[in-house]
Amino acid sequence: MNSLLNQQSPKTDNLVSPYLPSAATVERVTKLTEKERLFTVTPLAAIGGLPVSFDPGQFFMCGLPGYGEAPFSVASMPVNSHINGSPKQSFDLCIRAVGNLSNAMHRIKKGDRVYLRGPFGRGFKTDELKGKDLLFIAGGIGIVPMRSFIKSVAGKDSYGKLTLICGAKTPEEILFQGEMDEWKDMGMDVRLTIDKRHPGWKGNVGVVTTLISSLKLKPDKTVAAIIGPPVMYKFVALALRKKLIKDASMLVSLERRMKCGFGKCGHCQINSSYVCQDGPVYRLTDLAGLPEAF
Amino acid sequence: MADKNQYRYLTKTGLKSLINGLMKDRVVYGAVKKDGFPAFGRITRFEDLELSQTPTHLSAKEFFFPQRECLLKFDIPTGAHEPVVASQGQAVIGLHPCDIHALNLMDKVFAHGTSDANYLTRRADTVIIGAECFPDEYCFCSSVETMNANAGFDIFLHEIKSGFLTHTGTDAGRHLLGKLTKTVKASASRIKELDRLKKKKEGAFKTRLNAPAKDLPGIYAQSSDSPVWGKIGAICYGCGSCNNVCPTCCCFDVKDEVGANLKDGLRVRVWDGCTLEDFAKVAGGHNFRKTRAERLRHRFNRKFRYLTDKFNALFCVGCGRCSRACLVKINIAQVTNELIAESTITKNR
Repeated sequence: MNSLLNQQSPKTDNLVSPYLPSAATVERVTKLTEKERLFTVTPLAAIGGLPVSFDPGQFFMCGLPGYGEAPFSVASMPVNSHINGSPKQSFDLCIRAVGNLSNAMHRIKKGDRVYLRGPFGRGFKTDELKGKDLLFIAGGIGIVPMRSFIKSVAGKDSYGKLTLICGAKTPEEILFQGEMDEWKDMGMDVRLTIDKRHPGWKGNVGVVTTLISSLKLKPDKTVAAIIGPPVMYKFVALALRKKLIKDASMLVSLERRMKCGFGKCGHCQINSSYVCQDGPVYRLTDLAGLPEAF
Repeated sequence: MADKNQYRYLTKTGLKSLINGLMKDRVVYGAVKKDGFPAFGRITRFEDLELSQTPTHLSAKEFFFPQRECLLKFDIPTGAHEPVVASQGQAVIGLHPCDIHALNLMDKVFAHGTSDANYLTRRADTVIIGAECFPDEYCFCSSVETMNANAGFDIFLHEIKSGFLTHTGTDAGRHLLGKLTKTVKASASRIKELDRLKKKKEGAFKTRLNAPAKDLPGIYAQSSDSPVWGKIGAICYGCGSCNNVCPTCCCFDVKDEVGANLKDGLRVRVWDGCTLEDFAKVAGGHNFRKTRAERLRHRFNRKFRYLTDKFNALFCVGCGRCSRACLVKINIAQVTNELIAESTITKNR
């Protein structure tokens, strides 16, 4: 039968299913809020035959049999450790319980398994940003992928001034506040805001853009990273342009629905761009021809 | 167009031998009539085959990209996942040139970057036999350069009065013709008959686009704010029929089906459609294409613009299936002609 293979159809030698996930052990579950939990996971074997390696901003498809898969940005950098004498790598996924899969994830305990494919997409290229002042602007759970970026540059001499603006609806919903104190100790300027007045909150009240006007930025040296709800991007970009930050110096990470991770299922498409391949991290100038971006 | 010397004459009995030969070691699908309408279906006797002049209601994509297919099996207690890449030796008979062009586009999509083993394996295990057609009032392949197919099939059949003129697109096709049936070199008079039929076909199109195919991506690029989208968005039911019948719509959803024992199950992929409301909705409820107008604009642009840079081809093959199937008579050629009329690209000519 093989001698009759249609010679014009693409090669099918050694094709393996790109949908097969790899198991990972949950090392630790940390409850961050009522809705968000942080899962520290260690892949049992190299995913796809490669050691775990990713840029901040990249994502994995994480699934549970019976509940399907969904894309989740990595919330940390890979951490090397030794467990029972053998080298292991673990990393964090932060999951908000909003659907069937994420609610099932919240029932997961230490020692249970999750199933991963990835990493997918393009993340933040930290090497290309050396020497720059970095301004991180995160809204809501935008701080999750931002944490991966921050952890990979904080405390390193090769970067300039680091500033974080982080906003949430309420004080309780600002994730990783304990770690933000450590980031401050490493020299980062951390500024927080909540949407509405709240008993006991002495900090800024208002959307994240209200904190941008008072910043002292060097336009030629600053690169801004922006991650938040869809409505946030346009207003942050406007506020940064007023501070003379160029669009080419603004990096945004976009959220979309995804089913495959490699440009087939069509769900993440923004105009002519597939977020799972060209993004989720884009330079703002790359979005000029993509009016559906936000 | 095939080289004239390549045409071989095949009698109707000769076609029967070919199909019967294929049925011996392959599952054969072909053009049949279902409730009086042309469709693709399983063929177990040569007499089941009814080659159609006009497009089938559903395209042939289901034989390569089934409406529902298993991607992997899982066992919940052990966490074992077993990939499923299933294919069978099969043949599909009666694809029109537009269908063959569509298949070539699907090949590009599923082979681009990370290869989709499920589609590509099935494609490689399939013998494609194309067949000539004649346009109805919805067909407009002559406007999108898909009226003739030069590649993407093993054997192609042109029906003439006394039988068929065939030409082959692959060594496999040549081998099958030689092994399973008998053909003779086509006579000059039969080739003339074919030329007459082709001319008749070229003149028979009632639907045409009013701009050359190469201008269409640019015309669509100017159309984002056109009032046309609001107009068709206001009448669209959002039913997804256009996505279902389109031979190049290949977006999908992936979901888990748990068995009745609650222990094992399947991860399956099913067709999805960008005109359906939830297609671009994320967890938490934000919908990146909220309105039907936005969703239709997305679908039309996917056919005429979004994928053209990556794959160097229009993704509309002019089969007219979406227009035929539309419950509110949104017609892709008419919409495109309205955009052409609004465009400065055509005005500047």
